[in-house]
Formats: sequence, C-alpha cells, structure tokens
Amino acid sequence: MITGKPILNTSNLMLQVIYGLILGVALQFYFFGWGVIYQITLALITGIAAEIIFLKIRKKSIDAIKDNSAALTAILLAISIPSIAPWWIVVLGTSFAIIFGKQLYGGLGSNPLNPAMLGYAFLLISFPLEMTRWTSSFLSFGEGLNVIFSSINIDALSSATRLEEAKFALMEGEVSNPIQIDRTVWINLGFLFGGVYLFYKKVITWRIPLSFLAGIIVMSLLLMLIDSDHAMGPVFHLFHGATMLGAFFILTDPVSSSTTPRGRLIFGFLIGILVIIIRTYGSYPDGVAFAVLLLNIAVPLIDYYSKPKVFGR
Amino acid sequence: MSKHDFRGGVLIENPYPLNQLSVVEVPPPKKAIYLLKQREGASAKPKVKVGQKVKVGQVIAVSNNDYCVPMHSSISGVVSAIDDQPIAHSSGLKVPSISIESDGKDDWISLKGCGEEVDKCTPDEIIEKIRNAGIVGMGGAGFPAHVKIKGAQGAKTIIINATECDPATLCDDALMRKYPEEIIKGIEVLMYACQSQKAIIAVEEDKVDAIIKLNQTIKNKNICVEAVPIKYSTGAEKLLIKLLLDKVIPTGSFASSSGVLCQNIATVKAIYDAVVIGKPLVSRIVTVNGSALKNPSNYEVRIGSSFSDIVKKSKPSANPHEIRVGGMMMGVDVPDKNYSICKITSSIIVDEIKIKQKESACIRCSKCNEVCPINLLPQQLFWFCKSDNTKKASSYDLQDCIECGCCSYVCPSHIPLVEYFQYGKALVKKELREQELAAKSRERYEFKEFRLDRIKQERDKMMAEKKAALKAKMAKEKDNKAKIAEALKRVNDKKK
Repeated sequence: MITGKPILNTSNLMLQVIYGLILGVALQFYFFGWGVIYQITLALITGIAAEIIFLKIRKKSIDAIKDNSAALTAILLAISIPSIAPWWIVVLGTSFAIIFGKQLYGGLGSNPLNPAMLGYAFLLISFPLEMTRWTSSFLSFGEGLNVIFSSINIDALSSATRLEEAKFALMEGEVSNPIQIDRTVWINLGFLFGGVYLFYKKVITWRIPLSFLAGIIVMSLLLMLIDSDHAMGPVFHLFHGATMLGAFFILTDPVSSSTTPRGRLIFGFLIGILVIIIRTYGSYPDGVAFAVLLLNIAVPLIDYYSKPKVFGR
Repeated sequence: MSKHDFRGGVLIENPYPLNQLSVVEVPPPKKAIYLLKQREGASAKPKVKVGQKVKVGQVIAVSNNDYCVPMHSSISGVVSAIDDQPIAHSSGLKVPSISIESDGKDDWISLKGCGEEVDKCTPDEIIEKIRNAGIVGMGGAGFPAHVKIKGAQGAKTIIINATECDPATLCDDALMRKYPEEIIKGIEVLMYACQSQKAIIAVEEDKVDAIIKLNQTIKNKNICVEAVPIKYSTGAEKLLIKLLLDKVIPTGSFASSSGVLCQNIATVKAIYDAVVIGKPLVSRIVTVNGSALKNPSNYEVRIGSSFSDIVKKSKPSANPHEIRVGGMMMGVDVPDKNYSICKITSSIIVDEIKIKQKESACIRCSKCNEVCPINLLPQQLFWFCKSDNTKKASSYDLQDCIECGCCSYVCPSHIPLVEYFQYGKALVKKELREQELAAKSRERYEFKEFRLDRIKQERDKMMAEKKAALKAKMAKEKDNKAKIAEALKRVNDKKK
C-alpha cells in the first residue's frame, strides 16, 4: 500500500537514482582519481547531446530531456567503464547507448534492452583491451587529462581487476584470500548503501535486488560444491565486480526489467545465476552486462508466464 | 477493526482542510429539473403534461422496465417543460427531462407508510414500496435498490456501506450523525425484507463521532458497526466484502450469490423513509467541497436542484473553477455548473484551476500494479488499450478493472490510465456489438439464401410437375388426333 500523495514523478525518480549513486562514485573517485569525473562529464555531454539531436530528428518535444533518463544512462555507463579509458570510448559508448539502445526503439519506455548495458557490451566486445585496463592508483587532475585525452602508454598505470586476479590465481592453483577488503569491496559497499537509500525512497522494490543477490549466493555455493577449483565463494562474488551496482542500479531499470511481482523474482534470480557462470567460466572478467541483456530479451516471456492472479478470477 | 484485508489500495487523505462537515438543509428550489435517465439502460416515460400542477412526492415519470424506477417531483408547482437536458458528464450527452417551476408552497402528497411495525407488511410488499419510492443505490452506481434486494432474498449478511467511497466526499458521515435512528430502523427493515440474521455497518475509522452515535443508537444485537481503514477503494462492493468477510466474489457473479447484500447507507435511510413514513426519494445529502470554496459543506437538497444554486451557498471564489462531480477519484470533470442534482450525485468538488501535469512516457515501474486492488497489470493494459489491441487487453482481464483510479493516482508519468481503460472497454463493447450484428446479419443472409433456395426448389418441382402434366396432356391429344385421323381415314376409305 502506498501512503499519502505520490511525490515522485518520472524525472524525479531518475534524479533519485542519480543521488543514490553519489556515495559509490565518491569512493571510485577516492580510489581511481579524476579520471572518474572526466568519464562522467564526457558521458553526460555526449548522452544529452545525442538525446537532443535524436529527439529533433524524430520530431519530438525536447522537453523529454527533462526526464533525466539520458543523464542516468550516461552516468551508469561512465562509472562502468575503466576511468583511464581514452575519451572516444565513453563518447562512442554513450552515443551507442542513447541512439541504438533507446531512441531508435521509440525513446524512453520503449527500449527492450538496458541502454547503459547495451553500450557497455558494445564497447567490451569492440575494444576489449581498453575496456579491461583499470588504474591501480589515484590519478591527479592533470594525470587524468593526460591519460584520457592523449595516447600515452598507460600500461604503467593499469592493472587487472580483483575479479581477474582472483581468477588467474585460482587457475594457477594459488589460494586466494576472498575476504580481503580492497577498494572494489569499498565501492560495492558504497553502491549497497545507495541501494538502501533508493529502497527507503521507494524508488525500487526489494524483489529484483534481493532475488539477484540470492541467485549469486545460490549459484556460487553450488559451484563451490561441485567445482571448487574454479569457484570463489559467495562472499567474494557479492562484493566484487559490479554486483551491488548491478543489483540496485542496473537490474532495477524499470523499462527493461520484468514488471510482474513474480516475474521480477525470476528475472533477478536468473541474472544472478548467469553472472556467476560467466564470471567463472567466461572469458570476460565480469558478466553483469551480458546477463542483464540476455534476461532483458527474456522479459516478455517471463511477464507473460508470471501474470498475477486477478481478484475474483 | 476488521482482521482481513485486500491487496493494493492507496492511503489518500482528504486533500481539503475539513474532514467533518455539518449538514445545511436547503429550502426547496424555485425550479427543478429531473433527468429521466439516471443510469445506463431504460429511461422513465413522463406521466405529466406541460402546465400540469404537481405536489411534492407525486410520480411524474414511470417505466415498465423493472430496472428503471419511477421519478417523483421534489417540489410543488407546475410542469414547465419536458425536453432533453445534459447529464453531468463531459460528453454533453442529453437525456429526456421534466422541469418544474415551484409555486413556493411545498405542498406534499399524503404520505402513507407502514409505521414502526414493519412486520405487518410482507417482505414482497416492502420491496414493492421501495420500488415505488424510486430508490436507487445512492453511492454512485444508481442500481435500483429493489432489484438488488429481490436478488438477495435469504442473504445471510447485509453490509451497509458507509465508507464514503471517496476521500473528499463526506456525505455518509453527515448522514450518520444526523439520522442514526432512521438508519438503524432502515437496516432492520432491510433485514426483515431479506430475512437476514446479521448486518454490518462499515464506517471509516476516522469518522469517530458517527461510530459513537451509531453505537449509542443500536439496540439490536444483530447489527454491529465495523471500523474500516481509511485505505482508498475500500468502498468498492467486492473489496469491502473481502475486507469484512474475507470472501472473494468471483468475476461475473453478484454478491447475492454468496449470501451477501451490500447497500449504501444513504439508500438505507431512503428505505426507512419509503417504508416507515411512505415518503418517496426526493432529497439527498450532497458534499460540496473544494479549494475554491470558503464554506465547504454538506447540503441536504431536493433532487433536481441546480449545481450552481448549491455551490453559491459555499461562497466560491471569483476565479474560474474546475468542477468535478461524484468524487475526486472516480468522478467526472464537467465544464460548468449548469446541471441538476441526481439521485446519485454524492459530491460536487469546486477547485481553483490547477496546472495539469503533462503525461510522459510509461517507464513500466509497476507502481500501478502495486496499488491495483484487483491485481491487474495496468502498465500492460495501457499498451494494449493505446494500440486498440482489444484481444490482448481482454486476455489481461481489462473487464475486471473497477476504475477506482488508484493506478492513475500513483503514476509517476501522470498517465490517465483509467481513461485509457474506459476507452478500451468501450472499444471491446463496440466490437462485441459489431460481432453480434454481423452474426445476426449472417444469420439473416443465410436464412434468405435458404428461403430463396426453397422457393426455387418448390418452383422447379412445380414446373416439372406442370411440364409432365402438359406432356401427358399433349401426348393424349396427339393420341386422340391420331385416332381421329385414323377414323377419318377409315371413313374416307369406306367412301371410296
């Protein structure tokens, strides 16, 4: 039951999601430096410009930009890609996300796929090298500019992600310590906090995030039992990669996720399972984007078979 | 407090400052207009002529249709016109009406009721009295009360709906505070007419005065008052039954089939008047509320009074207004105040003009499903109705929508979902009618073909018979001719 006057409208809803991201982004900034800010700025400019241009081409009112959805897509993509990726990566990705992910389908509300994840997957497949190099240290204002805008050799700055490290370590038979608190864990905690904020503000409901986390826990436990050589355990998976960002900010995109109460449980749970499978056996470090896109395609089917029981029927 | 609940619903507080309004009795108006068609279906036929003198309570229109109750004059005076007048709906649809100019006397017909000893009458006589008094469900649907009661003979439980059905409407509260004795007596009449053992009066928990008054009045231990939460859409009949009795009335069947009769509290008061006093339904309490009014109030007015006369008593501001009839949630916006009070007019809301929120794209957030008491998927129905996909909409149970407006209320994109659903329902209806027509004309065509074929066959048969007869005749004639010729030849031969 919803109480009182509804305070949220669509643009406000998107704005709240952006507010929810603040702590996670601040932690990213603390660990990775100014690159994070540049990526977000570039994405915002590109995203809003692409949106305006396509609204014009489609002869729609520019007012639609006020719904803040383009801004949210841009920010979500920007914080998903490495903060030291060259500028054209984020520009290309954001344009792709807005144009091919949203506007060509008919704008907000009509896109079957999560635009930010579509942009991310497009970049990851096309530019795997640029998309998998993360900085190991804090980049100052100038360093950030240098790395992103000039083609200096960034190998010195980059490192693998914890997910990759752990995976390689396991492959080589080393015993990894999964509960080691590193920066990825902190960032995940930041997004978890943001998620709680969204829940408190009634922007999201518990169904998708909790079923997703449940899927992750169940599948990683299962893999630990049957294939302990590759598995890393639920605690590691919960706080590494894009788990928390995915749980509260990516999967909960209302447009491309399931809309029925039971459908949402199925949607989240299956993504959780897919993420663990991709992380463990796939050749990419993280699987949130691919898992989300796969389940986005399955949403019409899930929705159709999870229609709630109508009162009196 | 009820132990049960139904899913969904919205907690909507009355947006206007006062949550308890006094009742102001309005003297009979100078002129009254009676709409002869107050709900879908048949309309009553005038029984009076222009220029005829009428008294208060005199029948002015009747119908043979059992679903259409008679209409009574609520003032004494002269019939001034019988013509078509608009109903309070944005469509501007006009229906037959009778106008009466007052003579200022308020002359009543002589009233003859059963008195307090109701059991002198049989239940059937009481039901007939209710029909003759022109009583319909006064909560807003306007379904004839006698039809409902007849269908609920032997109902175990009677539920008296005093939940207002709308956050900004307060007429039930006023009625309970003003007429507690009449209401309780009316319930007893109803229980006798249906031979029921139990009656529950459902009152919103914040109407404390009304609850206390009713409890003080009740002497009968089979009647009880149940406080219900202020959750909106509780007033819907099937939801109220779920809330109070934890019974789900299946789609397509009536509450009576589950042994429950649900009546609005104002209807019960009207039943008391009709049966005990013998007074027909000529007045009702109307809530006049809104941000543009200095003195919002409940008015006890005669049916047929004009909106503008009553609104004027609440001192509206000089600015242009937005007028809504029948509640803030399920009511309809009307362009002006030139309408007359019907038996179902529970409230008139007069607001300052608000800036309308612009409708934006649906983001499928599912807030509408969360509040839908019927557990529909409004976000899906919206797509199907928008694209005229009636087949899909029906398979998602569009027809089960009770149009309570919870979904439209919470929609972050300000989509008037219920309006889309009303459109979709109208479309389904139209298609059904067309299908029926098509089926009928096909039947007619097929019968015509069959008939033509039969005629042709019959004619062919007849022709064949005629032909055969003719042939036989001709053959006979030929035979005769030959015989004659032969005879002639014989005669000629003999001559030679």
